[in-house]
Amino acid sequence: MNATKRRNDNANQPRVKRNTRAGQSASFVDLVKLHRRIARDSASRLLQTPASSLVTLFVVAVALLLPALLFGLNSNLASLLAGFQNSAQVTLYLQDSVSEADGEEISNDLLTRNDIENAYYVSPSQALDEFGASSGLEDLLTEMTANPLPGAIVLTPSDVSSVAVDELARQLQKLSQVDVVQIDSLWLQRLAAISNLVSAIGRVLAVIVILGLFFVVGNTIKLAIENRKAEILVIKLVGGSDMYAARPFLYTGLLYGLGGGVLATLLQGIVLATFNSNLEVLMRLYESDFQLRGFGLMSSLLIIVAGATVGWTAALMASLRHIRAINP
Amino acid sequence: MIKFDNVSKRYADGQEALSDISFEVSRGEFAFITGHSGAGKSTLLNLILAIQTPSSGQLIANGVNLNRVSTSQIARHRRQIGTVFQNHQLLHDRSVYDNVALPLEICGYQPNDAARRVRAALDKVGLLNKEKSFPDALSGGEQQRVGIARAVVNRPSIILADEPTGNLDPALSAEVMKIFQQFQSVGVCLLVASHDAALIERLNCRTIVLEGGKLLADQKPRPQA
Ligand SMILES: Nc1ncnc2c1ncn2[C@@H]1O[C@H](COP(=O)(O)OP(=O)(O)OP(=O)(O)O)[C@@H](O)[C@H]1O
Ligand SMILES: [Mg+2]
Repeated sequence: MNATKRRNDNANQPRVKRNTRAGQSASFVDLVKLHRRIARDSASRLLQTPASSLVTLFVVAVALLLPALLFGLNSNLASLLAGFQNSAQVTLYLQDSVSEADGEEISNDLLTRNDIENAYYVSPSQALDEFGASSGLEDLLTEMTANPLPGAIVLTPSDVSSVAVDELARQLQKLSQVDVVQIDSLWLQRLAAISNLVSAIGRVLAVIVILGLFFVVGNTIKLAIENRKAEILVIKLVGGSDMYAARPFLYTGLLYGLGGGVLATLLQGIVLATFNSNLEVLMRLYESDFQLRGFGLMSSLLIIVAGATVGWTAALMASLRHIRAINP
Repeated sequence: MIKFDNVSKRYADGQEALSDISFEVSRGEFAFITGHSGAGKSTLLNLILAIQTPSSGQLIANGVNLNRVSTSQIARHRRQIGTVFQNHQLLHDRSVYDNVALPLEICGYQPNDAARRVRAALDKVGLLNKEKSFPDALSGGEQQRVGIARAVVNRPSIILADEPTGNLDPALSAEVMKIFQQFQSVGVCLLVASHDAALIERLNCRTIVLEGGKLLADQKPRPQA
């Protein structure tokens, strides 16, 4: 009997009074190795059915993409809005009868009010010059005999909240020299309201998507478990717990979630690039160099982590439920 | 270690596979269960493994009350038992090595420790050279021996074997019985269902005879001459 053989024999000397915990204190490195093996195993199982795995992956990615795009659109909207904060303006268009001198005087009077931060008078001729300069129609305008534009006072309220601005506008409307009061921040308020709506829709959609993902991943796991019923049965017969039998399927769910998340951030990049090229044309008209921003590293990570979490949790719920039902 | 107390098992279809069985097997005891096909041998082993639950009577094995067990208790209970199944129950997409390693992996053994035990168990059943093969590429007898290696690899407190020598020639059967006796000698409790009258006769162990689900006889070993 050679040395190897003898060692082997010793290793398996039956011993009844054994420590049942023996070997359960596998080191961290071993544990990592074991989990890496299971993960690799799960991945190779996915590759065994590439078509259906890809379909599931794509469904997960698109599902994650929808709320992500909405939230992304909204964060862009919010940053656009932030740029205009404190820029609420009120323009008082004066009656035609008000002379330039009177206009200046009214403007100066308004400056004494403490709910007005700043005010300046724009005479009809100044207004015409500005319009001509910005529209490029100077030549045409010089041929006009009468100036159709009214004089105006442009003022900045001290308090830019919409309630305060509305109140100020209401008071100024009462002045006899004022023809029309225009709150320039109205469109901003509308945009803010739209932004709130978009984020509310995003939240609802996120809930629906999570439920949908639970269904999609859960169903995929259910099929995978049915395909491996015989294996689960054997594992249970030799004392594997439900959790042990579930482990490969948890990795399957995790891989779907991770892969879907990565795919979603890629798709999002493509969508943004497409939008941006269209947006550029629009923004040039508004003399803005505003660009849709990608979600940045943090948000991309968030999508991936969210996908992985949902995938893993859905797999956990589905696999424990279906594995419990498999009994010898 | 295993105690049947007026145990009966009636299957859902009304078939009474075991009726009013009482016996006890203690540590370090080796008992055969014999009887004609359909006598209830597999059913009896299934009860100990908590694959089936008794319809009536009390069954305690390895300190576990098998009339009332939770799912997690069942898994822990089965880990203490090495079982050779009548239909092998091997994983067909895993190598012989991985099949035998399964109980160790479930218990979380370190890979090195596991490898040593797996090789030792395969060596015992003479399959060390087949560790990379897959079960479908093995003969019936070889598959049976893989099942035996898997049953003993985790040093169980109880070994249950359902026709472990059904596909083995007399020489191999004798080998397997020698392995079992080694475990018996260190206090493992063995229960082996078998048809093989010659083998049972030769081994001179305690023999529990079933007939139509009833306990016909419980023969103690003959005193050695
Ligand atoms: N799952 C089941 N459902 C219903 N009846 C069953 C079930 N399993 C076994 N039986 C019945 O119980 C009786 C005992 O079966 P069992 O498998 O225990 O016999 P056995 O002694 O192991 O036979 P063999 O030597 O052929 O393996 C048989 O009549 C069988 O038909
Ligand atoms: Mg049987």
